[in-house]
Amino acid sequence: MAIKQHWWKALGVALVLYSIVMGFLGTVPALWVLHETIRNLYFHVTMWFAMMTMLTISLGYSIAYLRNFKREYDVIATEAANIAMLFGAIGIVTGMAWANFTWGEPWPNDPKLNGVAVGMLAYVAYFILRASIDEISKRGRIAAVYNIFAWVMFLVFVNALPRMADDSMHPGQAANPGFGALAPGMRTVFYPGVVGWILVGIWLLNIRKRSREIEYKLLQNELN
Amino acid sequence: MLKQIVNLIGKEFILEFRTKYALGAILLYAVSTVFICYLSFGTIDNKTTWNALFWIIELFAATNAVSKSFAGESKEVQLYTYTLASPGAVILSKIIYNIVLTIVLTLVTVLVYTILIGNPVVDMVLFIETAILGSAGFASVLTMVSAIASRTNGNLALMAILSIPLLIPILIIVIKLSLIAVSGMQLQDPTGFLVALAGLNVVTAALAYILFPYLWHE
Amino acid sequence: MKRLVAFLVLVLSSIEAFAQEAVTADKPQMADAFRADGKIYVVVLVLSLVFVGLATYLVIIDRKVAKLEKQLNEKKSI
Repeated sequence: MAIKQHWWKALGVALVLYSIVMGFLGTVPALWVLHETIRNLYFHVTMWFAMMTMLTISLGYSIAYLRNFKREYDVIATEAANIAMLFGAIGIVTGMAWANFTWGEPWPNDPKLNGVAVGMLAYVAYFILRASIDEISKRGRIAAVYNIFAWVMFLVFVNALPRMADDSMHPGQAANPGFGALAPGMRTVFYPGVVGWILVGIWLLNIRKRSREIEYKLLQNELN
Repeated sequence: MLKQIVNLIGKEFILEFRTKYALGAILLYAVSTVFICYLSFGTIDNKTTWNALFWIIELFAATNAVSKSFAGESKEVQLYTYTLASPGAVILSKIIYNIVLTIVLTLVTVLVYTILIGNPVVDMVLFIETAILGSAGFASVLTMVSAIASRTNGNLALMAILSIPLLIPILIIVIKLSLIAVSGMQLQDPTGFLVALAGLNVVTAALAYILFPYLWHE
Repeated sequence: MKRLVAFLVLVLSSIEAFAQEAVTADKPQMADAFRADGKIYVVVLVLSLVFVGLATYLVIIDRKVAKLEKQLNEKKSI
C-alpha cells in the first residue's frame, strides 16, 4: 500500500468530494429557468466529460492493439468502453431528471440527446460484435476496427451535429454560450470535478482490468 | 494501385452482369417496397412524412444491396483476390462499386417513388445532390461494416446492428437537407450540410482504407 | 393600546414581507432561506458520506484484487 502508487486514487476521490461540497456551498449566478439547478452542472456534465475521456482511452488502446497485438491492450480497450457506458448511462438518467425540471419533459427532441443515445447504441453494437467472435486474436482485431469507427461517429454525433443544428438547448450549441462563458466561481468547482471523476473512472478501469487479468491467468493455469 | 482498383471494379461489374439476378433482386426489393408503401399510403400530402418514408426505404434498400458485397464471396475467391491485389485496392474498389450501385438504386427508387406516390420536391437539383451524396455515404459505411460482419459468425443479423448506429449521422444530415429541398424554404444554407456530408464520406472512406488491412489479415 | 401596537406591528411586518416579495420577483428565485437555515450542510454531509462510502468500498475491492493477484503469482512460482 505504498502511497506512491495510490496517490492518484486519493486525489480523484478528494476532487470529487470537493466538487460535491463546493457544488452546494459555493455561490452560483442567479439565473432564470435554471435557478438552483445550475448546480447540476457539477454532477451531470462531469459524467459526459468522464465518458468522453474513457472512450478516448478505449480508442487509444484499440489503436495500440492494432499496432502490436498485445492482448492486454484489447482488454483495456474493452473495459474502458464498459466504464464509459456506465458514465453515459448515469449521464442520460441524470440529464433526463434535470431536463424534466427545466425543459418540461424528460426527453426533449434535442440533437445532443439523440446523438448521445445513438452513440451509445454504437457501443452496444461494439459489445455484441465482440460477443459474436470466438477466436480471441481475431475478436480483438475486428472489435478494434469497429471501435475506431464508432469513436469517430460518436464525435460527429455529440459535437459536430448538434453544433450544426439550430435547435439545441445545450451550452456551446446553436446560439447558446459554451463553457467558456461559465461564471468564474463555477469554473473552480467544475473543472476539479471533471478531473476527479476522470480519475475515479481510471480507478474503476484499473480494477476491472486487473480482475480480468486474474481471470485470464486462472484460465491459463487450468489449461496447463 | 490505380490499375488494380480499375481492374477490380471491372471484375465486380462483370460478376454483377453475369449473375443478373443479383442486380434484379436489389431493384425488385426497392420497387416492391415502394409499391407496398403506395398500396398502404396512396398519396402522401405531408411533406415530412413523404421525406421520412423515402429515406427509410432508401436506408434498407442500400443495406440490402451492400450487405452481400463481402459475405456473398466465397472464401476461395477472397483468398485469390488478396493474393493478386493489395488490401487497399480491394476495399477502395468495393466502395466505389457499391457507391455506383447504391446511386443507381437510389435514382431508380426516386423514379418509382415519384410515379407511384408523387413528388412534392421544390428544389429538385438539391434533392438529387443530397440523394447522390447520401447514397455514397451509405455505401461507404455499409461496405466497411459488411467487411467487418463477414468476419463474424452470424454475419447477416449483425449487419443491421452494426451499421444502423453508424449510418444515423449521415441519415440525420440527409433528412435535414432533403427537407430543405422538399419544402423549398431556405431557412438554413444547405451548402454547409452538403460539405459536411461530403466530408463525412471522405472520412469514412479514408478510415476504411486505413483499417481494412487489419480485417482480412488472418 | 397594547392591541393597537400589536396590530401595527403585524401590519407593518406584513407590508415588509410583501415588499420583500416584490423585490425578489424580478430576480430569479434561489434557495437562499435553505442556505441561511444551515440545512444545506445536512445535504452536503449526506451526499459526501454516500460518496465516501462508495469510495471506501472501492478501496476494499482494490485491495481484494491486489490480494488475489498476489496469491496467483505465488501459486505460479511454486
